[in-house]
Amino acid sequence: MPDEQLPPAPDQPRIGVDEWVASVEGKRERYSGVVGRLRRVWDALPVGGRLLVFAIPAAIFPLVTTEGNLFRYGLITLIYALLALGLNIVVGFAGLLDLGYIAFFGFGAYMYGILASGHSGHHWPAELAIPVVIVGGAVLGLLVGLPSRRLVGDYLAIVTLFFGQAFVVFVNNANRINFPFVGHTDLTGGANGLDNIDPLNLFGWKVTTTKEYYYFTLGAFVLVMMLLYFVNESRTGRAWRALREDPLAAEVMSMPINRLKLMAFVFGAATAAFAGTIYGAVQTGAFPGDFDVGLLITIYAIVILGGAGSLAGVVVAAIVVNAVPELLRDPNQAEWVFYVGLTVVVLARVRPWQRLVGVVAGTIAFGFAVHAIADAAWPRLTAGSSGGEGALAHAIGSWILLPSDPKQIANFAFGLLIAAVLGLTLIDGVWRTVALVPTIYLAAFVWENLLIQQTAGATRFLLLGALLVVLMNARPQGLFGTARVEIV
Amino acid sequence: MRSRRATAVAALLALGAAFAIVAAASATVNRSAAPAAASSAGSKLISCGTTRTMGVLEPITGPAASLGKLQNDWIQFYVNSHNRTHKKAKLRLAKGDTVLGGPGGTAEAVKAAQSLASNVLGVIGPAGSNEVKAATPTLMNAGFAFVSGSATNTEITSDGTRKGFFFRTVPPDAIQSTSVSNFINKKLKFKRVYIIDDQEAYSTGLADAVQSKLRAAGVTVTRDGVSQQQSDFSALIAKIPRDTQIVYIPWQLPPKGKAFGEQMRSAGKGSINLMGSDGLFDDAFASLSGVYASSFPTSGSHPIVKAFKKAHGGDAEFFGAPSYVAAQVVGGAIDRACKDGKATRAEVRAQVRKTNLKKTLLGFNVKFNSVGDIAGGQFGIWKSNGTAFLPVG
Amino acid sequence: MNWSLFWDLTVSGLTLGSVYSLIALGYSMVYGILKLLNFAHGDVYMIGAFVGYFALQGLGGPQNPSVSVWLVVSLMFLAAMLGGGLLGVVIERFAYRPLRDAPRIAPLISALGVSFFLQNAALLVFGASFRDYGTFDLIGGKTYHRGNVFLSVPQILTIVTALLLMIGLTLFVARSKIGKAMRATSFDREAASMMGIDVDRVIASTFFIGSALAGAAGVMFGLVFGQIYHYMGFIAGLKGFTAAVIGGIGSIPGAMLGGLLVGLAESYSTGYLPQGSTFQNLYVFALLILIILIRPSGILGKGDVKKV
Repeated sequence: MPDEQLPPAPDQPRIGVDEWVASVEGKRERYSGVVGRLRRVWDALPVGGRLLVFAIPAAIFPLVTTEGNLFRYGLITLIYALLALGLNIVVGFAGLLDLGYIAFFGFGAYMYGILASGHSGHHWPAELAIPVVIVGGAVLGLLVGLPSRRLVGDYLAIVTLFFGQAFVVFVNNANRINFPFVGHTDLTGGANGLDNIDPLNLFGWKVTTTKEYYYFTLGAFVLVMMLLYFVNESRTGRAWRALREDPLAAEVMSMPINRLKLMAFVFGAATAAFAGTIYGAVQTGAFPGDFDVGLLITIYAIVILGGAGSLAGVVVAAIVVNAVPELLRDPNQAEWVFYVGLTVVVLARVRPWQRLVGVVAGTIAFGFAVHAIADAAWPRLTAGSSGGEGALAHAIGSWILLPSDPKQIANFAFGLLIAAVLGLTLIDGVWRTVALVPTIYLAAFVWENLLIQQTAGATRFLLLGALLVVLMNARPQGLFGTARVEIV
Repeated sequence: MRSRRATAVAALLALGAAFAIVAAASATVNRSAAPAAASSAGSKLISCGTTRTMGVLEPITGPAASLGKLQNDWIQFYVNSHNRTHKKAKLRLAKGDTVLGGPGGTAEAVKAAQSLASNVLGVIGPAGSNEVKAATPTLMNAGFAFVSGSATNTEITSDGTRKGFFFRTVPPDAIQSTSVSNFINKKLKFKRVYIIDDQEAYSTGLADAVQSKLRAAGVTVTRDGVSQQQSDFSALIAKIPRDTQIVYIPWQLPPKGKAFGEQMRSAGKGSINLMGSDGLFDDAFASLSGVYASSFPTSGSHPIVKAFKKAHGGDAEFFGAPSYVAAQVVGGAIDRACKDGKATRAEVRAQVRKTNLKKTLLGFNVKFNSVGDIAGGQFGIWKSNGTAFLPVG
Repeated sequence: MNWSLFWDLTVSGLTLGSVYSLIALGYSMVYGILKLLNFAHGDVYMIGAFVGYFALQGLGGPQNPSVSVWLVVSLMFLAAMLGGGLLGVVIERFAYRPLRDAPRIAPLISALGVSFFLQNAALLVFGASFRDYGTFDLIGGKTYHRGNVFLSVPQILTIVTALLLMIGLTLFVARSKIGKAMRATSFDREAASMMGIDVDRVIASTFFIGSALAGAAGVMFGLVFGQIYHYMGFIAGLKGFTAAVIGGIGSIPGAMLGGLLVGLAESYSTGYLPQGSTFQNLYVFALLILIILIRPSGILGKGDVKKV
């Protein structure tokens, strides 16, 4: 009997088994090791405690550092997390595939700009503008949701995609509109964007520095999280979950499907509009290119990585998706990140410790050996210089081959590395350990000669992409999602 | 269950209150510190040493990566030649990726601006006009002088909010559009013009300006747009009436301009004149014989251009040339400010303001007026002979 | 009625539509079998275009090819199709197979990761500049015309090649054993495996064929429109996905029809509607919505029977 016919391990989703049975099995599952212990502690925490676990470090960490850009990354991460929370309602809670979601985000930014900017001439204070924008976003969500009620799955996706594209084209060209009574108006600044947006002016407190924005957004985020948690636990939340799991059954049970879908759209749109207001104020301008499909895909990645339907997962995923590229921005930092990361991966995956020692020692020895041979036979292979600076780079310089003209070799090595890594997953046992040594060396070689040239650019996203694939393979239900059973 | 939930609610409300207090407290602290922060960031002394750092904000990845590479090549060329003659006062570049046109939008540009380390003395870039707008608060708060070689939107200097901080080494759209419309209207005396933009801010700004100037002069103008990602223009070309005299395409990507011209010829409309803006002033576009392009009066015989060609295997395109001049401006300012071994960003700004470069490779002297534009910058019109552009007006 | 304009627009629409059809075919085939939207498909198309470019350079370049023109073009196609197909199989093996039983959106994110990876790997290895096929003089210069009706060689080439490939595919799926296995697997995967069909091999074949078609589309695009760069797969993928949905996702003739329709819709809206080119994407989408409202599962799609 081929392997796939045997009953799979208990923590894999199974075809043909109903969810109740699967969930019971999940409860009796023992999580093992350190991760397991963490999970049990986490599950035992009351909800408020979980929120504090996130909120307190988030509030304190910026005080510990003086680096301005950390505030910025944290701020953008929070805004993306807020956006992802809203999308979580539509996709995660209610199971609707909305591909025009970013248009609500853009609407929030532009609406706030129209109400409070140098461009438009109005200067509404935030306590008036924000509620107006949120209500506006909700109304827009309602308008989009109304025709979408009868659509399902992939077709809803297309319609909402249209709406998203229509929004971008509209704001891109809206500086040439001739309204019937008002005449020629420049509503959105067209391709040049709506600039000089006022900073948030909340009851007299002008939010100007990044630090202030960070705290404001953090507070707003906590509030929205609380709100969403209560909504999720309420009747509406349960109805949404039923709708997501099996729309046909929900309809047969006489749930008001259309009303639920509309409510999901409205909530999601309102959250996005709110996030958009903050974003517009932070960027001091709203530009059409900011609200296009690219950002939509990023937010989707955050929601699904975290586990659609899970609030905590969204936060963690937002941090992962934002922090990874940022960590690699600075080449010197990236050096450390790479080698530490590599070490951690090897440490975690190679057991028992004898094998681990063997691999590490073997790699180092292999490297020096290759370097020595290359030095003797083809000096051009070691004549180049390392991309980074500092002590680590110098040490690496005597271990790794650094050709004087790395371009061609590095490209081939890159291809070879991909083949090697993929091949490693196919073989097993002793040979895998043996093959690991040259593969690690090759990885370091490619890093030094190719990837490090572009850490500020392509490498960041390349590694993020690889990370997404690996994470999904390791945990397909998302970081915090519940293992789901697909009834086929 | 119920009571646990209630305690959770109470805890959260208390937390919320705590946050409000903390935020208010930190706000008070910051508010008084904010004005001081802006000027103090600019007036912090940075030691110059033998290697000084210039920040560069350019699109290294994303859909506009090809433009970033062009600018980067020219800036790196400047740094290399500068370091050869200034052994004890070398320059190095700290690059920030703005991902122009990418998924994160202008937020990436701001992040890149904020990632510039504390030893950076001056900044070249950002490349896009919208990026300049978004990154302005960050860069101004940090006290930087930022000199762009490609942000041509007229507003960013004319609105005066960046006075003393932002400069650009490329004349703004207002000047280019005047040259273009004068040439079409007065020199060529055409009456039927078709304008196609590529939906990006640079393009629509120029197209709007040229359109309004031509219409004011009584020329018939039809307007349409394509997406920058588009490569098939045959449908649009089919729509262009055969009696059109000239098609003006103020685009940013020379390969697209070339493809457009070729497709016009395939469709049998090769007799209609074609004109590009400075974004298309490139050998690729010049391969179409008889096309026009507007550009600053760069000359292929300028010694720097020749040296660049030699170092790059005979190729030189001019999109990145203003970035070279921007690097000259910032590098020169840093050299002058660092004469006494230490400098502040405010000093570098003041030195940029005093820039006086003669006979730059752009074809004119570079001196800044009060809002940061080049005083006396001009655009000329060029025509291609099939290999390169030659000046005609 | 300006027939010359109509003719030009139709030819233009069919040309670009053929490229879209080939991409949509890959989407449809994979969706039919796995119910998966392969986001990385557009990037396989991009890699195919680059493979064709390097094949061209290897054969002497567009200025003086070492063998006859048609042999060069055929070899480019072959190389791109092989390369694309292999890439598709590798992606399936490592990014999708482990997720076959996971919730439907997990492979979506995995596909997204692969897409990011491919785009940026292409950027690193090939560089940021546009690469020009430069084949305008090689095959593009000649234009046939009668009066005001024009038809250029690249346009003919694209439409004919796409047609041949699509006919070949339809015959293959209808007649061959693997084709039958594919149809069975897409109908009911579990039942097919119980009937002794090697599902893994069938899925790998599907990916190979779909990705090979995408590779061919990449080369076609390069030959006709000239420039390729690392980001070109993004929009092409979106349009291909749209085309697949209009035609009825999961249906092969539907994908062909959908691609041609999208191409024609873009063309006609550019040509006839005011500011048509600026808003062409919107007009196309509006058309889609219209079609979906009339026929919810796409033009040739099979209505889904829901099991209760």
